[in-house]
Formats: sequence, C-alpha cells, structure tokens
Amino acid sequence: MFIRLLKESFTRNPRRKLLTGAALILGMAVATATFTVAVDVGDQLAREFRSLGANLLVTPQADTLPVEIGGVDYRAANRGAYLPVSDLPELKTIFWRHNILGFTPFLDVPVDVNISKSGAAPTNAAALKSVPLTLIGTWYKHAVPIEDGSTFITGASLTHPWWKIRGQWFADTAPANEFGHGVARPSRQALAVPNRASQTEPLASTADFSSQCVAGVSLAGKYGISIGDILNLSAGGRSAAALVTGIVTTGDSQDNALLCPLSLAQYLAGKPGQFRQLFVSALTKPADALARKNPDTMTPTEFDRWYCSPYITSIGRQIQQVLPGTRVEAIRRVAETEGRVLSRVSLLLWIVTIAALIAAALAVGATSATTAIERRAEIGLMKALGATNFLVGGLFLSEQLLLAIAGGCVGFLLGAGLARELGETVFGVATSPRLIVLPVILAAAAAVALVGSWIPLYRAAHLPPAPILRGQ
Amino acid sequence: MFKRLLFHLLRGNRVRLTVALLALVSGGAVISALINLDLDVTHKLTQEFRSLGANLVISAPQTATSAPGAPSLIDESAIQSLHRHLQRDENNQQRSVVVAPYLYLVARAGANPGQPVVIAGTWLDRISQMEPWWKIAGTGNLSRTDLSHCLIGRNVSRSLGLTTGSTVTLHDRGQSVSLIIAGVADTGGSEDNQIFASLPVVQTLAGLGGKIELIQLSVPGSENQVRAVANHLQAVLPALDVKPIPQITEAEGNLLQRIRFLIFSTGLLILVLTVLCVLATMAALAMERRRDVGLMKALGGSIQKVVGLFLAEAGVLGAVGGILGYALGMALSVWMGHRVFGASISPRWEVLPVTVVLMLGVALAGALPLRLLGNVRPAVILRGE
Repeated sequence: MFIRLLKESFTRNPRRKLLTGAALILGMAVATATFTVAVDVGDQLAREFRSLGANLLVTPQADTLPVEIGGVDYRAANRGAYLPVSDLPELKTIFWRHNILGFTPFLDVPVDVNISKSGAAPTNAAALKSVPLTLIGTWYKHAVPIEDGSTFITGASLTHPWWKIRGQWFADTAPANEFGHGVARPSRQALAVPNRASQTEPLASTADFSSQCVAGVSLAGKYGISIGDILNLSAGGRSAAALVTGIVTTGDSQDNALLCPLSLAQYLAGKPGQFRQLFVSALTKPADALARKNPDTMTPTEFDRWYCSPYITSIGRQIQQVLPGTRVEAIRRVAETEGRVLSRVSLLLWIVTIAALIAAALAVGATSATTAIERRAEIGLMKALGATNFLVGGLFLSEQLLLAIAGGCVGFLLGAGLARELGETVFGVATSPRLIVLPVILAAAAAVALVGSWIPLYRAAHLPPAPILRGQ
Repeated sequence: MFKRLLFHLLRGNRVRLTVALLALVSGGAVISALINLDLDVTHKLTQEFRSLGANLVISAPQTATSAPGAPSLIDESAIQSLHRHLQRDENNQQRSVVVAPYLYLVARAGANPGQPVVIAGTWLDRISQMEPWWKIAGTGNLSRTDLSHCLIGRNVSRSLGLTTGSTVTLHDRGQSVSLIIAGVADTGGSEDNQIFASLPVVQTLAGLGGKIELIQLSVPGSENQVRAVANHLQAVLPALDVKPIPQITEAEGNLLQRIRFLIFSTGLLILVLTVLCVLATMAALAMERRRDVGLMKALGGSIQKVVGLFLAEAGVLGAVGGILGYALGMALSVWMGHRVFGASISPRWEVLPVTVVLMLGVALAGALPLRLLGNVRPAVILRGE
C-alpha cells in the first residue's frame, strides 16, 4: 500500500517532481564540483608557485664570504669551498623526496675568453684580445640516476623556468662516472667526455665541438656574440673551445655571464665532480605556528609532526642530513610570498566553496518547500480518508528521500565531470573524482531536501483537513 | 486604486512573501559579494605579490667600450626624472611605485688588509618596502640621510664577527669610513653576504659622487600593467635599460590568471544556483496567486491590469531584495576582505545596479507563468481546478 502510493506519486505527476529533481541535481553538482576543486586546488596551486623557481639554496658550510656583484664573484680564484656532485642523487632519498621537484648545481669560474666569429677565418681568432668573463657551469635538463633505478631529469628548466633561450640550450654531455661507481647509469648510451680541444690545432668546422655553451643576453650584446660563434675559454692553464648555441635571457645576473654544462666548468676550474651552489625547488606547505617554532626546542611529538610535514624548514633539514657539510637556506623572498599568497588563496577558495554549498542548500530547500506547499490539498484529502500523521509524513518524506538519492547521484556524476573540466581548464590537470564525496553529497542532499519540506509538511499535517480541502 | 491593491497584496500572506524576499535577499547578497570580490581580488593579490620585491630594474646599457668587470653607471639625476614620469603616470592610475637606487662596491672590512666584502649603497628607508621579507635584528628603520649607520647581512655578521652596536671600518683605495652597525639582516638570499649603507657613504668611499649603478622599482599591477610601465619608462628614458624581472612578472601573471578564473567560475555556478532558487520561489508565489487572478477577472478587471498588478508586486520584491541583498553582500565582502587579506575591500557602487537589475529580472521571470494563466476562464480557476 505504502509502496504503491509512493509509486503513484511519482508516475502520476512527474512534472511536479521535475523542479525539485532539477534543483537537487544542479545543487549537488555544484557542491561536488566546488568541493572536489577546493580539495585538489591546494596541491595544484602550490605546484603552480614553483614557476617562481627554486625556494631552497644549498651552499658549503665552510665557505668564505662570497664577494659577488651582478653574478661576478670577486673572490680570488679557488677560494671558497665546494660540494661533490656525486651526493646529489641522495636528494631523492629523503622523506619528502617526491616534493623535491628539481635541483640545479651551479659552479662559476672566472675565464678568459677569445671570441672567433662564425664566419671569420680561424687566423683572426688569435688576433682578438681575450676578455675576462664569468663562466657558470650548470645543468639544463640533466639525467640523474636515483635509488629506485629510474632517472630523474632535472636542471635549470625546473628551478629557473623563466629563463628564455633564443637558439638552443647546450648539449649536456656528462662524464660517465659522474655519480660514482655504486650507481648504475640506466640506459644512457656511452657519451663522450667533452672535447677539450687544445688550441694548438686549428678548429675548422663547428661539427668538431662537443662542448657547447649559451651566452647571457647582456653579455652577448656587449661583445657582439651571436649563435654559431666559437669561444676559446681558458682558466688556470686549462682551456677548451665551445660553440655558442643560444642566447639566454634570465633577467638576473646570469645575463652577464656564459652558461655551460657543469662538466665543462668543472674541468676549467680544476674541480672535477664539484659545484658551489645548489638551487632546489621543493613543494612545500605554507608555514603555520608549528613551522615557526625552533625545531631544536620542540617536544618529540612536535618534532615528529614537524619532520613529517612538508614545511620548507623540515625539507631543508632533511636535505642537510643527506648532504653533509652544507648549509641549507630557504630563499625567503620566494618562500614567504608563496606561503602567504597560498594560504590566502586557499582560504578565499574555501569561503567561495562554502558560499556555493549554501547556495546549493538554499536552492534545494526552496524548491522542496515549494512542491510541499503545492501538495497541501493532497495531504488534506489523505487525512480526511483516515490516514495518520505518521503515514502522511512518512510518505512525503520517503518521496523526498528517493528524489534526494537519485538527484544526489546524478548531481555527483555531473559535478565530477564539471570539476574535471574546471581542473583541466585552470591547471591543465584533470581532478580525479573522489568517491568519498558521494556519501557526503547524498547525505547533504537528503538533509537539505528533508529540512526544506519538513516545515510546510508539518504545518499541513497538523491542520484540520476541512479548510485545506476547501482550498483556504 | 492600483497602488492600494498593490499595498494590500504585499501585506497579505506575509509568510510566503517573506520566503520569497529571503530567497531574493540571500541571492542578491551572495552575487553582489562575489562580484565585488572578483573586481578587487586581482588588485589585492598583486598587492600581496609585491612582497616579492622589485619587478623592474633600470640600469645603464652594457657597451663593449666600458671596462670589463666594471659596471656602467647612471647619473643620480635619473631618479628625479624617473620620479617625474612616474608621478604623471601615478595620477592616472593611482599607483604607489617604490623606487630605490643601488651602488655596489667591493671594499675591505676591518684593519688592513681586511676581508673583501660587498657594500651596497641604497636608500635605507626603502628597505622595508622593497624587501619586506627581510628579518632585521636591531634597528631596521634608518633614515635616507643617515651617514653613520649601516645594516649587515647575516653571513657578514658571522664571518666578520660583528653584531649590532659594533663599529665596522671599510676602506677602499685610500678612502675609509667607520659605520655603526644598526642591525643584522636575515635576508634568505645573496644579500646575506652584503653590507647596506646610505648611498652617499658608498659614493664617497668609491669616489663616484652622484653616480648609481641601478634603480630597482616595485610596481604594483598585473603583468601587462607592469610591462606597460616598463615600456613607458623605456620610451621617456631612452638612454637607460628598463627591464622587467621575468622571474617575478611571469610567475605572478600566470598565477593571478588561474586564481581569478577559478573564483570567477565558482561565482558563476553560485549565480546559476541562486537564480534557480529565486525562480522556484517566485514561481510558487505566482501559482498561489491564481485564485486572486481568477477573482479579479470575475470582478471585471482587464487581464493586462491584473497581470500588471502581479508583475508590479514581483518587481517591488525584486528591487527590495536586490537593495537589501547588495547591503548584505557588501558587508559580506568586507568581512571576507578582512578575513582573507587582512585589509578591507571597499564596496563598489557599480555593483548595486547590477544586483538590483539581476534580482528584478529573476523576480519578473519567476512571475511570468501568470501571463499564461490570464487565458484561463475565471470560472474554472474559481472552481479550484
């Protein structure tokens, strides 16, 4: 009887259910979409902030005071401390290894440079006087073998993503034993050690050069260096020739320097396998009260929580543990802005999400109330025919419940699609639908639909049937 | 007569009208708050991004004629002409551009021969605006004309063994100066290795009176606005190189665009939901009025007049809902501004007509089913079918 009544109600007047159903579907779709996006967006935004580049700087602990203006280090050559490249794969072994998005070692060498123009005869090269410049050895896209056997491609393309190249980046040819003997180099063909061609031989064609470099844009403008030129670099009795493959714009001190593969700079500096500075780009969590505490004075529980949270300070500590003899500093200009903007934006998005949830609840509640009011006459009739309040209430509430579950399910699917679309448009990454949201959405839909129709139904059920049937 | 009827309509059946008004007011509030927020959020966020420091650098163009290693210098008077041009720009666009000149010098610190260290001459009073991320132990607020104090970077403090209050002697090619250390700066960057002194001190020490090396500018605004300022300055200062710092401008533009789109699309969804909610309530109200329409027609009211009456009722509701919603929405956005940005978001008047027109339109659209009822014969309606 009860089920038949319920079925009748749905089949007799489907149009009446349409409004409530549509509101439920739409409301729950919006709730699902905004909730999914709000949950996912923190990660995505933090990832976007990495377009600001590195947020951690690793330097040797025993280093003397750097005397650097505009990228030129005025320290006497070979002063200062160095760090071994062979330790770098360790970075991908720390607790938050997946949050290390990229790292780039730098080694700067003062060099004397002879420029031979691409078109000019080789004899002219000797005639040009040499100029002292800064050569910065680095990685652009460099393969680093990591513990689990895979290869991690890292370099300035990740830590300095705003660098713009005209032409091409240098081909990075690393020495085969770069990371020591213990680690097998996976599936890389044997690469020749850069051709450190001595200047005794005339250099006929550019094809001979396996050493390549790129010139900073200001430097290129100052000395008239263009793509295809050959630079004869010499420092401390060692020399090499390198082909200019591109002109780089960094907007920073590197605009006044030459950039080359790290191995070439190591050779010229006489520091094989070493570097001076390491820029690390790490995905971090905005600093909160715990992150601002001094880790040395924390209680053990606090320390564990701090160590296992991706704060910039805890990631810095973990890097320091795997790279002995280093000092790891947060690049505060980047790290603090990132933390502040990130926490503000996520708060803003949560507020907007809550507003969307309230709007959804309002829409569902209002339409439920509307349909309930319209059916007061029906209630009056049922009561006149002897139905108890309990039966009437039960009938209408189960009707709403059925609608809510159906509407909630459809709304969830629609909302998941919407969130996917939104994630793809905004971040280029589709958000994955979270099944955990479905029961929450269903419960919310049922609650809102019931609350919305409860008050008018309650009032109708408690009125004497006669006036309602008369239409008053 | 029309007015009296309208008045009576609005007074009768107060519960239903309150529900409709509630829907309209809350809808209007959410929509106006979101529009207000969306208009202000770019401005507020670019303000936040200014904690990244300078985003434009002005320097002398590098030429092959200048000695290698020695930087090209600019005349200090360039700052005055820069200020003049910025002021003209500022009047149009209400910008607060922070400007600071820099002159760098490698001098030796301590007794002969001393340790080489980089000294930066700048306007010390601009540091808190230009480099807001610095943590300074000691006194950070120094005046631009203070010739006796300096700030030192953390690494300088450590490797030279200097702290706040001690005196450092700097010398370069026969010139020397003694400065009292006012504070130690934790900058989290290469500035940790530098000493910061007033511009004239460094100019005298370097023997470069009236010269500076570069000017840094912190220009608020979107990526395009910053580029426009850079282009404008390049046009009026052709002898100098004006360059945006791509690390800052690009990342900022990129992020802002994404955040705005996200807020905008969520706002749009909320708008659709709110409209649906108001529409449902108004349609229900209109359906309830069927009996009134029938009665009025039976008493000889023309259908235009009767429908006009109910549309006027809906219109009044819409307008009142829009105005109240606007007031509530502004309060909401001010609260959000305080909560999120710690700064108030100023209410915008241009949001008011938008909200009122929107609510009016929604209320009238909800009342539209009445028009169809005009075709029904009064007897049928009065019989209650």
